[in-house]
Amino acid sequence: MNYLEPERLDALAAQYVLGTLSRAARERLARLARGNESVAAALRAWETRLLPLAESLPPVAPPERVWPAILDRIQGQRESGSIWANLGLWRGLTLAGFATAMALVVVLLTPGPETPIETLVVVLAGQDARPALLVSADRSGRTLMVKAIAPVQPAGDRVLQLWALPEQGSPRSLGLIPATGAASDVVRLDLPASAGLALQNIPALAVSLEPQGGSPTGLPTGPVLYSGPIQRLY
Amino acid sequence: MAPDPDKRRQRSERLAELLARTALSNQQAFAELYRETSSHLYAVALRILRESGAAEEVLQESFVNIWHHAGSYVAAKSQPLTWMTSIVRNRCLDQMRRREVDTVTIDDEEPGMMLADDRPGPMEMLLSSADALAVKSCVERLEAGQKQAIALAFYQGLSHSELASHLRQPLGTVKSWVRRGLERLKACLDGAGLKR
Repeated sequence: MNYLEPERLDALAAQYVLGTLSRAARERLARLARGNESVAAALRAWETRLLPLAESLPPVAPPERVWPAILDRIQGQRESGSIWANLGLWRGLTLAGFATAMALVVVLLTPGPETPIETLVVVLAGQDARPALLVSADRSGRTLMVKAIAPVQPAGDRVLQLWALPEQGSPRSLGLIPATGAASDVVRLDLPASAGLALQNIPALAVSLEPQGGSPTGLPTGPVLYSGPIQRLY
Repeated sequence: MAPDPDKRRQRSERLAELLARTALSNQQAFAELYRETSSHLYAVALRILRESGAAEEVLQESFVNIWHHAGSYVAAKSQPLTWMTSIVRNRCLDQMRRREVDTVTIDDEEPGMMLADDRPGPMEMLLSSADALAVKSCVERLEAGQKQAIALAFYQGLSHSELASHLRQPLGTVKSWVRRGLERLKACLDGAGLKR
């Protein structure tokens, strides 16, 4: 039986969307659709035809508990091993620390009367939304200042690696952050260009735990410990 | 209940925008998307699964899925509500078909059981939805048996064998009602210029 013969495919897609296919046939077609655009298109065409019928169902408000449960699920996956596989998710995590971040930005960067503000600031917060590291840079400077807000000591032979999380594409390493024994230690990381340019189109930074010498693959391999959105004060 | 075309279009644009912002991990947009669509999607799940616990769970899983895959929604290819509805329905239908394997026959003894509630029946739903949509005249052109089989399958998630026992018809008859009904719907809808 050739699934891809157009008429056969169309009939199967129709039954799939209507819901009458058997379990095995449903699963086969769903699998096929994932790798084959003409199968996916046949399903979409039938969804477009039939699913508007669902709009006439009288709405039923779901119980209040559903939304918090959803939030828990999308926030509770931060520690999962595949976290880096899902850019959307870990970019979302940066929201958690946002309120704290803004509060800190205001406190730390309230300008003196004659200081022009041309600064990027990132407050990197952990899962508990407590800020751990403050990264700042002059827009025109080529140095990132990484300041520990709380003592940061990765276990054993691990190091912290700082990453730029671009809007599109893979994270880019910004360098390693040595363990800081005490709060307020400052580490300087060199940038390939001015901070304004080097971090253009980068909405957020994150810190992952990596083996000595940094990630062997050029991409984050360890868990994300901290993340935070870049605030551009210019 | 039957929004006019302009309102439907505006709503679609709004939902597409919320999905786009959700794809950028904007939780506020996601929360709004939930507020805008959850009672519709919950109704879809509830109708098929007939069990609030199971429907709640599907709704929850679907929204987690939407959060992670909002970026794969392509506005040019489908309406946002259609896309979201398909996520919910597919989960429900997968569950229904699995149940069917687990418990071979569920309703042979009481064929009327599943429809015995005070909610509008599938036929009423089919006709009321058809009021506002391009499918109206197409649905009306179906023969009675085809119409009924398609409505039951669509709204209640019944399989061929469940349809047969509900409608007290041989399996073969029901299968051909469904198949011919779908063919006619397609010919009619595509002929009416509905964009694929």
